[in-house]
Amino acid sequence: MKKKKRITHRTFVLTAVTGGILIMVVLAISILWSYKRTNNATDEAVSAVSEFYLEAMADRRARTITNLINNSFEQMDKAMAFIRDEDIMTQDDLRLAIGKVKSLLSLNRFAVVDTDNIVYTQYTTYTGGSRHAFLAEEKMEERYISTVLKYGSSMELCLAAPSRDIRLMDKDIKACFVQIDINEIVDLLAFDDQGRTYFGLYTPNGENLSGTELGPYIAGTNIFEAIKGVVPIEEWDQNRNNFSRGLEGCITFTADGNEATLVYVPVEGTDWQMVVLISGSVIHETIHDISENSIRTSRNMVLYILVLMLLFAVILLVELGLLAKYKLEDEKEKSSSFHTMANTDSMTGVRNKHAFSAYEAEVNEKIKNSGISDLAVIVCDVNGLKLINDTQGHAAGDKLIKDASMLICEYFTHGMVFRIGGDEFAVILREKGYDTMEETIATFNSRVEENIRTKDVVISIGCSTLKPEDEQLHDVFERADHLMYIRKKELKGMGAPTRE
Amino acid sequence: MRTARIKRKGLLAVIPAALLCLTACSSTAGTAGTEPEDLREAVEAAAPADDAVSTAVDFDHELASYQPAKDSYNFYFTYKTVHPWWDAVALGMEDAQRQFLEKGVCITYEYMAPDGTSAEDQIQRLLAAEKTGYDVIGVDVADEDIISPVIDGMAANGTKVMTFSSSDAREGCRRIAYVGNTHNYEDGVALTEALCEKLDYKGKVAVLVGSKGAPCHEDRARGAADTISKYGDMEVVATEYDMDSIDLAYELTLKILDDHPDLDGIICCNMSNPVGAARAVTEKNSSTVIVGMDHDREALEYLRDGVIYCLGVQDCYSIGFDTLQIAVMIADGNTPGDLFPERTNEITTVIYQKDAAMMLELLYGEVL
Repeated sequence: MKKKKRITHRTFVLTAVTGGILIMVVLAISILWSYKRTNNATDEAVSAVSEFYLEAMADRRARTITNLINNSFEQMDKAMAFIRDEDIMTQDDLRLAIGKVKSLLSLNRFAVVDTDNIVYTQYTTYTGGSRHAFLAEEKMEERYISTVLKYGSSMELCLAAPSRDIRLMDKDIKACFVQIDINEIVDLLAFDDQGRTYFGLYTPNGENLSGTELGPYIAGTNIFEAIKGVVPIEEWDQNRNNFSRGLEGCITFTADGNEATLVYVPVEGTDWQMVVLISGSVIHETIHDISENSIRTSRNMVLYILVLMLLFAVILLVELGLLAKYKLEDEKEKSSSFHTMANTDSMTGVRNKHAFSAYEAEVNEKIKNSGISDLAVIVCDVNGLKLINDTQGHAAGDKLIKDASMLICEYFTHGMVFRIGGDEFAVILREKGYDTMEETIATFNSRVEENIRTKDVVISIGCSTLKPEDEQLHDVFERADHLMYIRKKELKGMGAPTRE
Repeated sequence: MRTARIKRKGLLAVIPAALLCLTACSSTAGTAGTEPEDLREAVEAAAPADDAVSTAVDFDHELASYQPAKDSYNFYFTYKTVHPWWDAVALGMEDAQRQFLEKGVCITYEYMAPDGTSAEDQIQRLLAAEKTGYDVIGVDVADEDIISPVIDGMAANGTKVMTFSSSDAREGCRRIAYVGNTHNYEDGVALTEALCEKLDYKGKVAVLVGSKGAPCHEDRARGAADTISKYGDMEVVATEYDMDSIDLAYELTLKILDDHPDLDGIICCNMSNPVGAARAVTEKNSSTVIVGMDHDREALEYLRDGVIYCLGVQDCYSIGFDTLQIAVMIADGNTPGDLFPERTNEITTVIYQKDAAMMLELLYGEVL
């Protein structure tokens, strides 16, 4: 069976040292982590509200529009190539082709224009000279991008591209164009930033194109009219100038007790400005949130370390308890061993004279208190020990004693066997041993008598039981001893060896 | 940012503002005999309240419950001249076309005009269209005397012809219906009355007209002339036609101002007149009072800035929307009656400087 591992002093010390080091390491890592996290959170807070962040957001949205414009022009080129390759002889053929183009290339409101400024769409044909600004020039040389402020206040981005060498229905085609609803563009620009910022598209003079509100103060009005008076006049003038010239810029202002910062970047390919605004309250809320988060994390970290230390202390206490328990057990074991050694005959392994004396004292106490009955004492004496010692040596004598002890133990299995002298043993019988003593004694004596003939160990025994008048165990012992001597003589007569 | 818009429920919806305006302008040519006091009241009634500005042009349309007999139609429309006023009409037509398409009815049409008003050109277009076999042909009459017989001839051939937008054919013409302004004379009277009141019923005025022979322009000019003639201290010193050209209107105004440096007022009868006149008046730094027609963005900005005194704004969008809708009904063989009127009552609203910003916002999404 595998020996169970026990906690030792070394283990305890090792645990204490390892745990201590571990806690120190965790503490150090926590401090470093908290430091780094606080720095990151601060950076995040700064970047979340910084001009750079706003500029990046504005830039991202501006690029989205530029990409849309570039993609649309590419699609328009494909559309015109498709129309060129179609066999278009009538207006119906052209309408059909335009319908296919719109469907295949996802070009809404796609139309072509001939040199008479007649516009062909999927469903209508109309004279468009006064309706589309890009038709003002007789010949179109370059791509044209314009904002259409339509009657009815809907706004569109018009992208027109010149057409070369396309002739349909005996007419030269001057251009093609698409008109993209500003609301579709706004949908593309919307992304989730937890509502921290506002954005809008603006004309060079600061008019809102997108219909999106630029915060509660500017809302949908002209930016420069809205912030006039809340920004120093020189700054206001310079920014209005930059804005109209398609330059980038940043304005911070305080209105209605709230600070706000707006950044504007030009949208490439258009005369639009993309404006992103963040209000001061959002900045404070963001910083507050980040600060709260840091405090919460630090608190959790402290709790974690406390729990870890508590756990470690419990482990140490448990180890300490186990160590004490094992020490106690060791002491008990040692004490039990000493007790056994003191009460055991080293040669035969049965109880010794000391044990008999202790037992005798214990019984005497019980006799005194009338707390015992049914007790018998058998006194045993090994015949011929002196003769063996003298003739065969002490080793043979010792063997005789061991054989005698084994024989006694063999028969008096329910008794307490004591070696009380060199060749003397005593057996205390109680309970079952007491109940069967006569039978056991008879069987034992028969065996002894048999041993006389076989020259084996011969033991004379005398037995006496506790009587009411006995005051101590010795009284019983005396009677048994007397009877043993009588038996000894009897056995001598049968030829048992004696010292003579 | 955009203002709330008034919902239009059906073609024949009666708009109180229109009634006000029409009440103010309800008399025909005979209005010339109306007492000045009555006309002043009429002009005051025509002056819009704030909510009247938002009802002056109605962009929120729904098709009538009429179920078209076919699932596709092909129309031809021709109007006087390429001009932003008719572009606004076109937007209303396109809105109706989209709504029909959503209902599964595909409408294709041509919407064509020459670069300058020409009755001869219009005849050529109508006759060519007649041969093509469109379901309905619509015409904005360039010259009622010249075009009306052509329409009668087409009708006799079984072609379904309607008139639309600014000018109807002459009385008795066999066109099926007219969708557009039915009170051009009254509009001329209303604008002129506003001017007279502003000038305290004395002074010299000029009249700028659009295209010669165009009924709407001529009717307004006639209304203006009749009104001025009633006031003894007032005089029309010049009447000029800009042929629907802003540049020409500007040049004509400069010339009039040179010829009559003491000119007190200009009555503009079409969309290009007030823009050209305002440019010239601004350039000359003149205090001449301008009254005019329509919703040109530049004209509205001049109104906002106080260069133009008042403008009569027609609901072009509704005219376009209703034109296409009635064209479908006519193509199905319907005639005026319960389904649609023989002449629609599209509105004109007179607006002043205080209304300009709101109108700019309404029409062009612009504030300030």
